[in-house]
Amino acid sequence: MTARPDTGTGLGVSFIFSTVIHLAVFLLVIWWGRLAPENMRLQETYYVDVVNLPAADPRAGSPTQKGDDLEQAAPTPPPSVPVPENPMSLPVPPKPDARAKTTRTSKENEATSDSTSFAERMAKLERKAEARHAEEALAGLQKKVKSSGSGRSGMPTGSGTQGGSDYTAYIQSRLKDAFRETISYSSKNPEVMVRIFIDTDGRIVRRKTERSSGDPTFEIAVQRAIDLASEKFPPPPNHKVFEGVFIFRPQGISQNKP
Amino acid sequence: MALFLSAGIVVKLVLGLLIFFSVVSWAIILFKLFQIHRANSESERFMDFFWKSKRFDAIASQVDRFANTPLTVLFNEGYGELKRVVEGGSGRSDSSVLSTDLGGIENVSRALRRATNSEITRLEKYTTFLATTGSTSPFIGLFGTVWGIMTAFEGIGKTGSASLAVVAPGIAEALIATAIGLVAAIPAVMAYNHFQHKIRVLIKGMDSFSTEFLNIVQRNIAGK
Repeated sequence: MTARPDTGTGLGVSFIFSTVIHLAVFLLVIWWGRLAPENMRLQETYYVDVVNLPAADPRAGSPTQKGDDLEQAAPTPPPSVPVPENPMSLPVPPKPDARAKTTRTSKENEATSDSTSFAERMAKLERKAEARHAEEALAGLQKKVKSSGSGRSGMPTGSGTQGGSDYTAYIQSRLKDAFRETISYSSKNPEVMVRIFIDTDGRIVRRKTERSSGDPTFEIAVQRAIDLASEKFPPPPNHKVFEGVFIFRPQGISQNKP
Repeated sequence: MALFLSAGIVVKLVLGLLIFFSVVSWAIILFKLFQIHRANSESERFMDFFWKSKRFDAIASQVDRFANTPLTVLFNEGYGELKRVVEGGSGRSDSSVLSTDLGGIENVSRALRRATNSEITRLEKYTTFLATTGSTSPFIGLFGTVWGIMTAFEGIGKTGSASLAVVAPGIAEALIATAIGLVAAIPAVMAYNHFQHKIRVLIKGMDSFSTEFLNIVQRNIAGK
């Protein structure tokens, strides 16, 4: 049998080549990874205070239906067409004689004096209507701001202790966002009711689990959501301690309205 | 890189094993490419030389020029066996022993067959590793992925968070094992199929050469 050339050497050289190729690919991947952007970060959610946004007209862009009501309630401006003094008088056809000419002149004088007095009255009426309109608009706006359950997207200005107020809705929204990140449960349809007290500086001073689900995973998720959301709570309005009861379910968060 | 470093120990082991498979299979691929390419090219050159030569002893003196083709091994084996048969026959009183005794041809045929088998074995050496890599690497990678996902879910259960930011890195770490498994397996399978085809062609060439060699031997003996 003829001896063959040693294949071990060839394989050894190939092995070195292969290792070099793999190292090159590895370095290429690292280099490419440095070029590629970093891991995606979760984008911060910004809450825009819609109510306190500067606006030219306080009635403009009012999100509630009450704004339209105000429009309807406002008095209509008086008609600009001059009303004759004696509405019952019939129009007199002009007479071609000179007497009639004199009468016309005197009537023109009367009409001039009448139009001056009418313009004064009109100006007075308009001023009165404007003042009344402004008062009603202001009252309507104040009423809208104080009213409960309206303008959920805005920052709170109403009483925070009222269920469904702007501040409560705001807190609920923040809790909902945080809960979406932390949600985890191991039982079927768990439900936790938590009473939260928020200090005047926006810190949670106390939290009380009013009703437990018996699912520790869900309880931890709820507590983590509250911790996460409480990092950016604004202080409650009117410098009062806020107290709210929220029900956490896998489907979402709702307020416990009395 | 970060995915590899932050992976668990089992996933790291799986990745290391797959990288080892990939390095070795690429070494075999490169070696076999070189070996089969040289065998093919030298076989063609040897066959040209074989048909141009008139005498076996002239070929035998030049056969070292074609060291990488399996045909030279066949020729050496066949020629060596033929010489032994002729030398064994010349010692007898009857000088035409080879022409009448078919056992001499059979000896040469057996020697050629044995050489063919040894060459097939040599050509197919290491290709089984390619087949193994091609068939098992995806499963090894899948094992690493399953293990990584199990670990990721355990982590999710402990932290109590199911957000994308928590889930995604664990899944990505796990999936890289399958990716590396496929990276190791795909070239190995392709190379294995390619080498099988090339080796089959070389085997056909060896069979043809054996037949031609036996024909020449028989013609020469019959002519004596």
